[in-house]
Amino acid sequence: MNKFRRAVMWVALALIILLLFLSVYGAFIGAARAKGFISRLPLVVYWITFTLLLITALVMFRRLVRVPGLLLIHLGCVFILAGAMWSSETGHKLQKKLFGIDKITTGQMIIFEGHSDNCVILEDLKQIKKLPFSVELDDLKQIKQLPFSVELKDFQIEYYKTAYLHIQTRDGQGWRIPVEIDTEFPLGSEFGTVKILKTFENFKITIEGGSKKIIDDPQPGSNPALEVQITSPEGQVTTRYVFERFGGHTRPEDKFALSYRRVISDYISRLRIIKDNKVAAEKDIEVNHPLSFGGYHFYQHSYDAEAGQYTVLMVVSNTGLAVVYAGYWMLCIGVIWHLWLRHIVARIKLKNK
Amino acid sequence: MEIKYTVQGLLIYATIIAYLSAFVTSLLRREKTGHILYLFGFAIAVFSFGYRWYHVRHVPLQNLFEVFLCLGMIYPVSLFCRRILRVGGYSADMLIGAIVLFPAGFVFNAEPQQLPPALQSWLFTPHVAVYMLSYIIMAKATFQAILQLAGKGPNPNENLLPPEQATYRIICIGFPLLTLGLVLGSYWGKKAWGDYWGWDPKELWSLASWLVYVGYFHFRYMFGKKHPRINSFWAVAGMAAIIITLLWVNLSRLFPGLHSYAT
Repeated sequence: MNKFRRAVMWVALALIILLLFLSVYGAFIGAARAKGFISRLPLVVYWITFTLLLITALVMFRRLVRVPGLLLIHLGCVFILAGAMWSSETGHKLQKKLFGIDKITTGQMIIFEGHSDNCVILEDLKQIKKLPFSVELDDLKQIKQLPFSVELKDFQIEYYKTAYLHIQTRDGQGWRIPVEIDTEFPLGSEFGTVKILKTFENFKITIEGGSKKIIDDPQPGSNPALEVQITSPEGQVTTRYVFERFGGHTRPEDKFALSYRRVISDYISRLRIIKDNKVAAEKDIEVNHPLSFGGYHFYQHSYDAEAGQYTVLMVVSNTGLAVVYAGYWMLCIGVIWHLWLRHIVARIKLKNK
Repeated sequence: MEIKYTVQGLLIYATIIAYLSAFVTSLLRREKTGHILYLFGFAIAVFSFGYRWYHVRHVPLQNLFEVFLCLGMIYPVSLFCRRILRVGGYSADMLIGAIVLFPAGFVFNAEPQQLPPALQSWLFTPHVAVYMLSYIIMAKATFQAILQLAGKGPNPNENLLPPEQATYRIICIGFPLLTLGLVLGSYWGKKAWGDYWGWDPKELWSLASWLVYVGYFHFRYMFGKKHPRINSFWAVAGMAAIIITLLWVNLSRLFPGLHSYAT
């Protein structure tokens, strides 16, 4: 290895070690700050230097071009870095300046059931302290419009069949009981037993003939609850209602607190893309199943936890993604070929000879 | 620390006992008995994993308990390393198997959990399984690196590779899996969260582990076997980064992030 090549190798090693330390530093400062940190000017210089060094290495080290696995690995890394830079906020700004392509990098949409919208809020809604529905969209500076509208036909939350009643005593002892009607669950000699008598999808209290009546209201709405019977060790029977949404309170004489929890299995937003007054695309999006349209991906991001009336979608530009994915393919194929397959092929060839 | 008085717990303890007995028997130069006990321990480990699978109704790789249960099935890796790669450390693998099952048996909560929406993807199993396999392979590489640092080598009669070469050979097997895990995770991140790289602590630590091995390859390319101790230090540093990625990130409150469901 001549001096220049050795110098390139040392620089490569130094950049790898530097990236290693930057990764560790990023892990300590948290995702949000790390995201900002990596797009600072010194880091931008670092990414460009790294990419250029990889290209220099491909030019200088013949072995990197002659050995297919090594070529794919290094070229793959160039693609990943280039794609990531192209898809970044700065990359989008550069595309606007150079080619006049004005795309939203990332943002969020709040859409109510039965409504359509094309406004994308560029700020993270989690950072806005007000509730999303009380935010005046015009007050937000960071709003951009899509060249098409997204309509929310329906939003649905699905739950696992098994729900649980959680019991927590004052001294920290706890039980998790699957919701099974009329099954008595012993809590030991100190606490007695509990029995779930009824489940409610939409718990309501009505007054009929001057007396209170508890019903499971079939009308639209949601207030999941449980009717629980508690039998104390002395045989005293009490009935309590436990609500999923409202934690309730414990009285001084209560030996334990009850809470009702259902586990969400899926969030589904039934979407329709409207372009030029026509339905251009339709998809039920879930976590792991986004919708792709017009150079954007739409993800199920959040929802109205109070009444399930609206969905929050994350809108992400797909610019540069194909380049990153091509890099991933090259890196994986390169590594597997270079470290595994070529040895297996060589062994087979040797055996055949 | 708690003892699990459940079928699952008993299966884990039985595996630990079988692995430890196999280790002790091997040390006493009763290789055949040791091998049978190791195989027996592996059979219980597979049954234990299958039992968990049946119990939770999804591939049990969701949390640290299940992941360590999976890592306990180390036998095929040690067999592959010995037979195909000519790498020693067969007896040490029995001990590694018992060590990784210890937290599953005594530390981590075994309460079954339902899969949150983000984990309901075809990428869940390959992403985690590939990582687990790479971790156990890298653990073997680290053992060889430690042997090299301690100046110990295999018995000349055994026809096994010297520790420095053995470390390199095992890392060559584990590194593609580590790469695949990283890339699959990134692809999954894009599908689930909208970003192929979220700068989450777990992502950054796994990148750091990957970079240590990238550094190892570059250093070894530059100097070959001239500095075997430094080569071994790279391998040990890689394992340290892996342990942090697997355990510290999930257990410490220092690193809150998107991967918190793995706790």
